[in-house]
Amino acid sequence: MSPEPRTQRIAGWLIQTVCRRLPADVRAERCREWTAELPAILDDQSIRPSFLRTLRALSFCVGISWTARQLSRSARAASRRTRNTQWRTGALRTRPPALAVRAVRGLLIWLVVVAAVLGLIALLRTRGLPPSFPVVLVLALAVGFDCFCLADIARAAQVRYLPRWAWVIICLVQAPLGGIMYLSIGHISRARSGTIR
Amino acid sequence: MKLTGPLERVLTVMIADPSAPHYGYDLMKAAKLPSGTLYPMLARLQQDGLVEAEWEAQREDTAGRPPRKYYRLSAEGLRVARLELAQAASSAPPRRAGRGAAWPAPGSTR
Repeated sequence: MSPEPRTQRIAGWLIQTVCRRLPADVRAERCREWTAELPAILDDQSIRPSFLRTLRALSFCVGISWTARQLSRSARAASRRTRNTQWRTGALRTRPPALAVRAVRGLLIWLVVVAAVLGLIALLRTRGLPPSFPVVLVLALAVGFDCFCLADIARAAQVRYLPRWAWVIICLVQAPLGGIMYLSIGHISRARSGTIR
Repeated sequence: MKLTGPLERVLTVMIADPSAPHYGYDLMKAAKLPSGTLYPMLARLQQDGLVEAEWEAQREDTAGRPPRKYYRLSAEGLRVARLELAQAASSAPPRRAGRGAAWPAPGSTR
């Protein structure tokens, strides 16, 4: 008996979707492996009636989603270990700074930015420009910076500590500080990410 | 390697016929494990060199079915599995009677 093609298609699509979170070097192989299990599940005559086979295939996909999460997590941990080793062997010029150092650096940058913007506003007020001008300027700067951060989150192969969506929310909610925190904590610089891209 | 309940069941299935290759769903059914428990475990075992994986050769009689990935115990895996299962069997009664949850009960996924 041939397995239900529609269920197989949907389950195959689900597997493909969850495989996207896997590291690129194992993605295609894992996707092929798990998709190849679907006919066996949907053809399993020991599961009756047939809708239970559909449920089994879908629960298989849920488990695959969990597996993909686990595998990508352990790959990330392995790449962190690699980075640390590289630093010790001198392959990286500098040691990646600790989380606390990056957070404090981010806060300092934020303070400098806030002071600079306040100074700029005070300067513009003395120039006799329309009162709405500083507001428009600050808004434009904030929107531009947010767009830059969101584009960076979208294009980055990897972000650190939090999932992408959490960094997006942080950037949007706290316009300059969120973005600065993302760049100093969550962003992985190109020079350092060579091994994990 | 910490012998958890699910791991014990997978090893028991694989050790029953060490030369027989098993594909994922086959192991899921035999060990009565969900895919979310089995595949991370297989990945770990493979990483530790205890399990080997190979792709099924494309044959005529598979009726268009895509080739499967088969798993089997490596020589080292067979040795470790025998040792671990023997140790588990010898220490099983106090473990079940003990109050400590040193190993998750069979069936618990994580």
